[in-house]
Amino acid sequence: MRRSVANRLTPYMFLAPAAVIMAIALLYPLGYMIWGSFRDWNPSQTIGEAEFVGLKNYVTLWNDPNFHESLGVTLKFAFFVVSFEMVIGVGLALLLDRDIRGMSVLRTLFILPMMIAPVVVGLMWRYMYHPTVGTFNRFLEDIGLPSVDWLGQHALMSIIIADIWQWTPFIFILSLAALQSLPSSALEAARIDGATGWQQIVHIKLPLMMPVLIVTALLRLIDAFKVLEVILVMTQGGPGLSTEILALRISRTATEFRELGVAAAMSNYLLMLLLLLTVAMFAFNRLQEIRAARTRAAAEEGV
Amino acid sequence: MFNILKQTALGIGVATLMASTAIADGHSGPYAPYADTTLVVNFPAHPHYDAVMKILPEFTKETGIEVEVDQLPYLKMRERQTLELAQEEGEYDLIAYVVFSKADYVYADQLENLAKYFMNPRLSDPSYDAADLIDGYVYNIGFAGGDRGYLEGATGSLFGIPYGSETSVLGYRKDIFEKHGLEVPETYEEMLALACQIPELEPGMGGLSSRAASGHHAAHAFLLHLNPLGGAIFDDEWNPVVNNAAGVQAAEALKTIVDCGPEGAVNFGFGEALGSFLNGDTAMFLDTTVVAGQIDDPDKSKVVGKVGWALHPMGTERASQTGGFGIGIPANAENKDAAFLLMQWLTSKQGDKLVALAGGNPSRFSTHADADVNAKFPHMATFGEALAYADPDWRPIIPVWGKINADLGTTLSKVLTEGLDIQEALDGVAERSKAVMEEAGYYTWN
Amino acid sequence: MAQSNTRQNPAFYAVISVLVIMAIGPVLLMFVNSFKLDVDIISGSSGLVFLPTIQNYEKALCDVLWYQPDHVDFCSLKFGGAFINSLIIALISTILTLVIGCMAAYALVRFRFMGRDTVSMSTLMVRMVPPAVLLVPVFGLWNNEFCLDKDGLIGGAIREMVGGRGDVCLAGTHSGIILIYVAMNLPFVIWILQSFIVQVPRSLEEAARVDGAGPFQVFFKVVLPLIKPGLAAAAIFTFRIAWNEYLLASALSDRDTKTVPILIVNNMSEFNVEWGVIMATGMLLAIPPIIFTLFASRQIITGMTAGAVKG
Repeated sequence: MRRSVANRLTPYMFLAPAAVIMAIALLYPLGYMIWGSFRDWNPSQTIGEAEFVGLKNYVTLWNDPNFHESLGVTLKFAFFVVSFEMVIGVGLALLLDRDIRGMSVLRTLFILPMMIAPVVVGLMWRYMYHPTVGTFNRFLEDIGLPSVDWLGQHALMSIIIADIWQWTPFIFILSLAALQSLPSSALEAARIDGATGWQQIVHIKLPLMMPVLIVTALLRLIDAFKVLEVILVMTQGGPGLSTEILALRISRTATEFRELGVAAAMSNYLLMLLLLLTVAMFAFNRLQEIRAARTRAAAEEGV
Repeated sequence: MFNILKQTALGIGVATLMASTAIADGHSGPYAPYADTTLVVNFPAHPHYDAVMKILPEFTKETGIEVEVDQLPYLKMRERQTLELAQEEGEYDLIAYVVFSKADYVYADQLENLAKYFMNPRLSDPSYDAADLIDGYVYNIGFAGGDRGYLEGATGSLFGIPYGSETSVLGYRKDIFEKHGLEVPETYEEMLALACQIPELEPGMGGLSSRAASGHHAAHAFLLHLNPLGGAIFDDEWNPVVNNAAGVQAAEALKTIVDCGPEGAVNFGFGEALGSFLNGDTAMFLDTTVVAGQIDDPDKSKVVGKVGWALHPMGTERASQTGGFGIGIPANAENKDAAFLLMQWLTSKQGDKLVALAGGNPSRFSTHADADVNAKFPHMATFGEALAYADPDWRPIIPVWGKINADLGTTLSKVLTEGLDIQEALDGVAERSKAVMEEAGYYTWN
Repeated sequence: MAQSNTRQNPAFYAVISVLVIMAIGPVLLMFVNSFKLDVDIISGSSGLVFLPTIQNYEKALCDVLWYQPDHVDFCSLKFGGAFINSLIIALISTILTLVIGCMAAYALVRFRFMGRDTVSMSTLMVRMVPPAVLLVPVFGLWNNEFCLDKDGLIGGAIREMVGGRGDVCLAGTHSGIILIYVAMNLPFVIWILQSFIVQVPRSLEEAARVDGAGPFQVFFKVVLPLIKPGLAAAAIFTFRIAWNEYLLASALSDRDTKTVPILIVNNMSEFNVEWGVIMATGMLLAIPPIIFTLFASRQIITGMTAGAVKG
């Protein structure tokens, strides 16, 4: 009898630690943040001492040109980063999807950039972009070209390049895995029909990979909104606000401008934006899945 | 040197009288009761405080007081202090702070008033010579409660001592000036004329590199010109007067400088402005004294030995900026007396000279005139002279200044990049500042 | 496969070599520069011709060296201490996340609490939350709410034992940072482990239960050994995040609990950039992830693909 009670309680005991930790260290803080976003709150006050100001923080941000600029930079950054990485990563996967010796070594080397701390990635690139001692300008000088003001005039482009370097391998590895798990029957059928390599890619491989590619793109998109350390180390958001993505602006608002309430409101805007994007991507994914299923069925039937 | 001798002599006297434990420690005199105390201090990562790190072992050797330094980039430092000072009991015994923080800390009752330490005969060194400290800085960084609430004056008192004093000076390329027979500018008119003349004489070179990027950089550059040209942000009743003739003139000066400056100057922050001078892209540089070390560092600079220094040019008056740090004792500190002793030692004539020789920015007139220091750093005499003109009321040190400063910086950036009319822009700033001040309660008595 | 005829194509190998150089070039550059003096880095004799020196490493590690190098005036970088903090925080949070995550994943699979869809949905939701969003609430809570009164029973005892001043708060302690890392990593770990636990044949567990093993014994003796590859993948990912994270650690740590990323960022002040030492500290921080990559790349790839492809 006692045994069965214990058995019935077991799942709860197994789940309890995780549930407790998530509740106190994730859910409660998020609620606390929403609560704080309605207050005029500075870091030397506890939240109880802060004055309730209603929606003021949200309205202030809505009309704040700096916030708009930062939002624009964030969207631009996320868009370019994800599109370039998808194109390059998937392209490389299609190119390297063959039976070569040393493929595992190659993959190992490719994942190296992802594993290294963002802070270190930032400092490596900051060095390489350095206007006088940096690798790139030295190289340009050596071959007789004018030097480029990487982290000055072209700061946004430069941080996008650094991110592409770090995260394209992620897309590459996932697309490669997807490619290698494609049903061989469909490809075989296409080959028998005399489809060229290019036709195979466009009509068979890409559509079949689509569900995975969308999840991959979504994961990258979400992560692109989280990038902070690399930019912090490379440009600190400058020059001006040209590379100050929202994550960085939140942290500056909280620490430098000492406006925790505004930072909390900004965090909420960011969360809402991410939620919107995720839902949109999911809807799109469902649509694609249905279409992919149809393609797959058609491909298998078409033998 | 005299100090050390005196302390030793005193120590022997005390020791023979009562064979105190001080002998066992090998330390004596005023420091004896605090030997083996460990002070925790919070300093910024800044060239001056790097120099301080080099002289701290000297203090420990002399006094037996250990010092543990938490050195942070200054924004992190500010953040950390905000948190620590609000606690009932804090970790830090001595902190360095920027002048902005003074208003916040003193207002929140978080810094010790130094009177009781200077009154205590066991702590206060009679040979300290406070009059030798550069007064503009003492008023700017140390005092609160007097004129305008944040300056010295009949009701003011001392909460900190300047340590790491910076002001604005004009750096110029001696080689370029010689080549074209140019005169070092004394007034604003001369400087502005030169700034636009140089790009014509030396194609590809900018006149003067200044900060101009949107935000606090643009505001800083504007303020640099505002006081020398006779302007101010507020009048004595806190009414914004930034849009008067002098204000417009200062904004015009900034615009001229940026227009005749190096390529991309509208986006320069401090780092870029300095970088372009270090790289030899401009002939003049008007900003803080703290850069002197880098300009003479062959690792960082292409203009080593080519740079001369002059006072911040004059408009209607001489008024250079006051920047840098002060040190103070948090009200929630554990070892306040020992912290005062460290503070006194660091800012004493002996300590000030040591730190100057280690590459820091001295805070005493005597150190700027000191022969040894000048032999090592020839620019020191000019810097000392510049410090005498430092204007303690360079910018308002009030809690809402951050907001007004940000608005000023963004608006000026629009003037520089989008061609917004100067008068219109400053009228807007004045109007919005008025609203901010109103909300903060500055017009309660009008 | 039909591609075998392209295998000899030299252009193909050229592309691969370019990719490899691009992938590891910056890391190699950092490695090489960390053995150069600042003068050599700046003067830019850009080749490999220089006299290697360990000065940068000596300077970075001056607080744990048994001798005092001549070229170090004062030991400003406390790298050794930060490295130990990083190790403590990364290891403990990894172990905790794995243990707790494993238990939760097992319960979710075997007792059919929530469908896999619900779990992957909530994993995605949590993954969506950028650390920057947690900055404000975590800063406020850890400093002001999650505290023990210093005059209270436990708080008093802690102050007595470890010293320090003021109320005992989570901020500034190792445990404070560990807590948030565990919470951040849990959903991901649960998600990955779930996909491995699903594959453990139920019959094995039934057999053990028939032999009289309780639920805990079944879990530890039967299930755990079978999901080792999943555990390895999850461990590497958690460790990587805890080891590399900067933002939250910098808001929560004090001078005694600083981790290496904080030290590196703090050391890059705008006034003075000592490239050699920075590269050396960066290299030291990168060593554990590099080792993982070289020896456990298969598990990393498993973890990554389990995350997206199977989801």
